[in-house]
Amino acid sequence: MSAARKMHCDEVAPLLVFLACDEVTADERAGIESHLAKCAECRTQLAEVSDFHHGLTAVPQAADELDRTGTLLAQCRSELSESLDEMSAPPVEQESWRPFSFIRRWMALRPGWSAAGLLAAGAILGVQLLQWLPAGDTGIKGTQVSVSAAPKLTDDQLARMAVSEINFAPGSDGAPGTLQVQLRAEQPVTLSGNLDDSDMRRVLTYVVRNSDRFDAGVRLDCLDALRAKISDSEIRDALLDAARHDKNPAVRMKALESLREVASEEDVRDAVLESLEEDGNPGVRVEAINLLVRSLEMEAPTPPAPDTNSDEPMVGRTAPAVIANSDPSVQRVVHALEQLRHSDPNHYVRLRSAAALRQIGPAEVQ
Amino acid sequence: MPLPQWALALADSAGKSGEHQAVLVTVISLPELDERALLVEAQAGNRAAFEELVRRYDRDVLRLALNLMKRPEDARDVYQEAFLKVYRNLHRFRFECSFYTWLYRIVTNVCLDHLRRRQARPEDQAPEVLVNRNEEGTRDFFEVQREHRPTLDPERSLIGKEIRLRLAKAMDRLSPRERVVFEMKHYQGLKLRAIGDALGTTEETVKNSLFRATRKLRQELGELR
Repeated sequence: MSAARKMHCDEVAPLLVFLACDEVTADERAGIESHLAKCAECRTQLAEVSDFHHGLTAVPQAADELDRTGTLLAQCRSELSESLDEMSAPPVEQESWRPFSFIRRWMALRPGWSAAGLLAAGAILGVQLLQWLPAGDTGIKGTQVSVSAAPKLTDDQLARMAVSEINFAPGSDGAPGTLQVQLRAEQPVTLSGNLDDSDMRRVLTYVVRNSDRFDAGVRLDCLDALRAKISDSEIRDALLDAARHDKNPAVRMKALESLREVASEEDVRDAVLESLEEDGNPGVRVEAINLLVRSLEMEAPTPPAPDTNSDEPMVGRTAPAVIANSDPSVQRVVHALEQLRHSDPNHYVRLRSAAALRQIGPAEVQ
Repeated sequence: MPLPQWALALADSAGKSGEHQAVLVTVISLPELDERALLVEAQAGNRAAFEELVRRYDRDVLRLALNLMKRPEDARDVYQEAFLKVYRNLHRFRFECSFYTWLYRIVTNVCLDHLRRRQARPEDQAPEVLVNRNEEGTRDFFEVQREHRPTLDPERSLIGKEIRLRLAKAMDRLSPRERVVFEMKHYQGLKLRAIGDALGTTEETVKNSLFRATRKLRQELGELR
């Protein structure tokens, strides 16, 4: 005690609270007790603090009143036990976890709805898959698919296709020949059939109408194929279009030649006259002259001429008596030929025009 | 009640003797196991060991919760939340401090959370039992207590009643932390160092909290005789 540190009132006062609850160190205790032995005021203060401390500990506590019988504690233990049961349940469930267990449980309880739902899901899935299958990887990429039935080619498919090859198989006994068209599109397609097939007609006429997309050889092949059914208005329109607008003169000539059988038709004659007057290629103009002569011959009564080979030039042949015809369209032909005979820059065209005029009537040749 | 398999196995491994001697099996019941063994078992997932741990401490935990929260339902929530936290986090306990300290750290944190939430809700603050409602015709808790405990000294009871009512009012002025420190010191009898460990703070901080709490209460209550 003699070694106790000397303390003053202001040091002791804050420590009295801790002295009362036995929370001071041995040194502090020694110092405080040494000071208290001499200081009456601090002793009084300690007495007050101790009284207060004892008074507090003597006060009945809330816990004494609120759970006197221990019922609350028992209740808490029971609830905790239940919570622990719930918490320990998930690991067991996790071990036997299965995918879609909730859906399976739901389906097991509602068999009717489940069956309906599965059917609907299957139908939807099937429809969706079918849409994707052609575009998807089917494992036979690059192989050709032979389409003998009429596949409904869409305009979009036509716009993206390319023709790689056209083959003709001549028909037997006058029957229409078989055509085989190989198309390069997203998936190679081979069309087989004849001109009665609407898709075949659509493909061939599409080719001849789109000279900028297909090469001249393919277009010529298509014209060859189409001339077999020139009576069809769709085909005739396509050929007229090619005769007027195709960028290749050989194709224009071929188109005119293909129209030979219907040369007397009004719309055909108009197209031929247009070619005659506007086409820049002399060969096309000569072909137009031949076609006009042919059309006029078809209108006139057949003469008893021995030579009926229509493909031969008519220069020097006996002219049919059609000039007397006052039909305005005939007069337009005569007028056009007269113009060519005098003013066409090509010498052969001029000669051919003069010959044609002689063919169709002596009066106009003058 | 039959002992669980693990307790028998534990006893068996400890009591094995020589090959030709009779095997002496010493059966140790759960309450006889020391705290460390119980903790190891509980950490291994032994539910019975965990429940034994709970039984060792839950009375004090509920008492602390009741004294702080003043309402049975709140104390029950604290009890549940605290022990479920202990159960979920038991695998993290590394024996670096006593289980008691670790448990109280969780309990006091839960209590502080509840007290702070209650402070943020003014309508939820008034303790139901300890407020003096005599003027409203409500029977005072001390009168109820006197009926059940007729042997109590009437004079002491009267003093106690007055002090308790004033104390309840004064306690409301303390911060949640001051309240917890005061409660743990005066009613749980914990040392300041243990309180610091439980609150995750230093003994000096706890000392300051206790000093402030005592000063506020003395100002409110004056002399207690």
